[in-house]
Amino acid sequence: MAEPTTHWADDLTPITAADWSFERAAHLLERAGFGGTPEDIARLAAMPPQQAVAALVDYHTTGNDHLPAFERSDIWDPSLRDFPVSRVAATERAEKTGEAMGVRVKPAGERRLQPVVDRFFYWLRATVLETRRLAHWWVDRMVATNRPLQEKMALFWHGHFATGEEKIRDYRKMEQQLALFHRHATGSFRALLIDVARDPAMLAYLDAAQNVKGAPNENFAREVMELFTMGVGNYSEQDIREAARAFTGWIDDDLAFRLDVAKHDDGQKAFLRRNGNFDGVDILSIILEQPVTAEFIAGKLYRFFVREDPSPALQTKLGALLRDNDYQVAPLLRTLFLSRDFYSASSFGTRIKGPIELIVSTYRKLGIKRLPGIPDLHVVSRELGQILLNPPTVAGWAQGRAWITPGLLLARGNFARDVLFPDIINFTDPNFNPGREVKRVNDRILAGMEIAVATTEDTPGEAGGMSGGMEGGERTMANVIAGAEDFNTRYGSLVGWQEAMRRIKPIPRAAAQFDLAAMVLTADAKTAADAVDHLLMRLLRVPVDAEVRRVLIDVLERKLGTTELAHAATYLERPLRLVAHLIMSAPQFQLC
Amino acid sequence: MRRSSRHSPRRSSQLGGIARRDLLRLGFGSLALGASGNLERSPFWAQAAAATQEGRILVVVELSGGNDGLNTVVPYADDAYYRARPRIGIKPERLRKLDQHFGFQSTMAGFERLYKDGHLAIVHGVGYDQPSFSHFASMAFWQTAAPNRGELYGWLGRAADAMDPAGHANYIVNIDTQQSLAVRSRVHVPLVFDDPQKFTRTGFAEEAAALKTIASRGQAENEAQAFMLGVSRSALDAEQLVRDAWAKYRTPIDYGLVRFGLERVAALIAADFPTRIYYVAYRNNAFDTHVYQGDVHARLWTYTSDHIAAFMRDVARLGRGKEVVLLAFSEFGRRVKENTSRGTDHGTAGPAFVIGAPVIGGQYGKMPSLTDLEDGNLKYTTDYRRIYATLARTWMGHRDTDGLLRGNFEPLPLLEA
Repeated sequence: MAEPTTHWADDLTPITAADWSFERAAHLLERAGFGGTPEDIARLAAMPPQQAVAALVDYHTTGNDHLPAFERSDIWDPSLRDFPVSRVAATERAEKTGEAMGVRVKPAGERRLQPVVDRFFYWLRATVLETRRLAHWWVDRMVATNRPLQEKMALFWHGHFATGEEKIRDYRKMEQQLALFHRHATGSFRALLIDVARDPAMLAYLDAAQNVKGAPNENFAREVMELFTMGVGNYSEQDIREAARAFTGWIDDDLAFRLDVAKHDDGQKAFLRRNGNFDGVDILSIILEQPVTAEFIAGKLYRFFVREDPSPALQTKLGALLRDNDYQVAPLLRTLFLSRDFYSASSFGTRIKGPIELIVSTYRKLGIKRLPGIPDLHVVSRELGQILLNPPTVAGWAQGRAWITPGLLLARGNFARDVLFPDIINFTDPNFNPGREVKRVNDRILAGMEIAVATTEDTPGEAGGMSGGMEGGERTMANVIAGAEDFNTRYGSLVGWQEAMRRIKPIPRAAAQFDLAAMVLTADAKTAADAVDHLLMRLLRVPVDAEVRRVLIDVLERKLGTTELAHAATYLERPLRLVAHLIMSAPQFQLC
Repeated sequence: MRRSSRHSPRRSSQLGGIARRDLLRLGFGSLALGASGNLERSPFWAQAAAATQEGRILVVVELSGGNDGLNTVVPYADDAYYRARPRIGIKPERLRKLDQHFGFQSTMAGFERLYKDGHLAIVHGVGYDQPSFSHFASMAFWQTAAPNRGELYGWLGRAADAMDPAGHANYIVNIDTQQSLAVRSRVHVPLVFDDPQKFTRTGFAEEAAALKTIASRGQAENEAQAFMLGVSRSALDAEQLVRDAWAKYRTPIDYGLVRFGLERVAALIAADFPTRIYYVAYRNNAFDTHVYQGDVHARLWTYTSDHIAAFMRDVARLGRGKEVVLLAFSEFGRRVKENTSRGTDHGTAGPAFVIGAPVIGGQYGKMPSLTDLEDGNLKYTTDYRRIYATLARTWMGHRDTDGLLRGNFEPLPLLEA
């Protein structure tokens, strides 16, 4: 094999067939996709490098019909349009108009607004749960796809145009935005930017409804320049204000974009040293004319796919490449993936995998074809620090070192164990767990308590004598209130959860099916050392040192009671899984 | 004026014979604060500060859920308060009065003691422009010091990167199950743990020895590999250090009924951890008191005020009182008017608390009007980044708080330099 070479850094010259190897093909598959089995890598290694890169980049001809479409749960209907921004807004609307979210206020009787509040909480929970299903569906695609670069780019754009369901409270908008990322994955950044600016999820996320003529909200105008195109320092606060005016009246009309002419400011704007009667698309076009925009995007793609801190000269070169191709992303990626720089020592084994990349690549390396339901994706991604469709802020996820703390490293090892030794006995579906408070109210209601009593706050047991008195006091108070109140929020939360959980389609819960023994034996391993070497090759791109290898062999030999696999063929699986867990706990497994 | 007050914190709320609060009430708040704030920025002060700030510790306590500030520091002299809250307003006779205008609710004995000792600063009306009513968004704004915009790293993470570019191990400790955005850093690797005894890798018994080797062995061929090996090794060390610190730690002090993390901070301080920034949260959106909030909120403050006061006593006991300053904040306050369920809904501004022996106790900032509202909400009077500027610059010796906070925010004169 040709060694990764130091002097290749910053050199965009394409590598030649003579430079091609299994290790380099493996590197390509990790970065342009999510890694794969040794067979996947061998297939790429057998092609000339241009063809291998094309197999990943020019994926439009690659069949992918086996991927299932997202199956929506039957949870939405048109009465949920213009969902109130808060419970307060919901009940105010109901009091004012006699109805909200398709539910009428009771003409008389106690808790006249209760059905409205129930309805509010129903959708709040339903869209949260459906968003988890959507994330599960997406990661399943990442595991199963024949076009890994398309998924990797969708993941990149999701982090770039970061939008979160927690704010917009409508999974349908997230689903639609995700389709946008899949469609434009390696296509034109220009087309993507304009579509994102008119995308209902983004419009809702960055407060488009508040951006109106005469009282512009600068949220989108600021982020589009700071985070999506140019980066700070390339425009003034005045440019932000002027751009915000140009975007006034751009609103999300349920799942469509609409220009509200009455709210649009069609006056003259002065933006980035230009004057005109600009609208939003004009603003985006002017932004795309700026050389810094192409450099910013190309630089961010480079850092995602190749390595941190490209030299300014290289970044300028990459920016020119993107602009010369009219912002088409595929040609830039093709150049990168073929470049000597990409295979140089500075790039090899330097990327800290993000949590989703770690999860997907773990499954793909084990040859698993569908995302398992155990462990639960949502729980794992929360523990590892990357919940899809709910980024921490509009800036997305900080990449690189920010993915790792000592605790998160331990959590990654724990994820590996959950894959290799799924704890099915203790597994409960987290989507059926509404949290302690709702469970408590549920138990009390089922036990026949009055709503007002069942929903009063618990006092902690350790408070001793004090708590007894307090609780008594509260119940009395609660009973006094019970007759008078218009609705009970805690009860609404319970009913909302129940209704949402009843209607959400379940996520299939099965552990991953794979057979390490078969993999090792098919690879012709004869001894414990061979088996360890096969697993190291399968799982790692950054080698471990000799001492670690010796320890792994030692563990395996002790578990097998022999060095010869042939003698242990009937009980090979668990010992191999133990070794795989150890390898996946290594710091090297976090890198590619 | 500023200097003389350094030796008698309790008199610091006097400005030239006029009570600070009166000045604030008269609307001179920013003027008075501005004048002493300028001292901080003179080169002399900056140098003197930098020379003495090694080893100082900042503890940030996040009260998640949106604390009802009006029922915490109760403006009992204002009738508008009782008009807006006929059922949940706390009667004057049930308050721990601080002065003629404000009182803590009765469960806050710990805070009252700290205030009377001159170790607790209340900053009134803390918030920001274009407030978000979403827990998630508003908390992210506080955690990143970047309201209404996106930011990859936390304000404490960025401060740590600037103050210690080498990224020394365990400079930041975050007591939680998840890393807070507030401490997310480009260079530093925060130590995040919840239960010191469970801060460990799960493994089968037969893996234990091998796991140690695997976690610590390897030759780095590049920076990323060196970093990963470093974290992996320090994870091993950190597990052990934290467990040891916790096992050794004994305190006679009662940390209250809900020990949300400060006792673990004290254990690390007692064990001489090199940590300069601790981040602790009262978790699970606890302060989100939409319904029947009276007893719930009172109880939350029993726990919070007991816990913080205990921590302050404990660090004093350890002889480290002069090295520790604590900030307690919540992502927003609540609406002025009570709701129909005897609770309160998401609002805007609220009080924040800066606590510690080095703090010049008293009240800072202007209390927002309870009648001049914006859509039923208080208009904030002090941008929260002024508190951050105070802590970062005056306390921690961070020189470029303009860069850190992306703007010029005048520190409040609530700390001895």
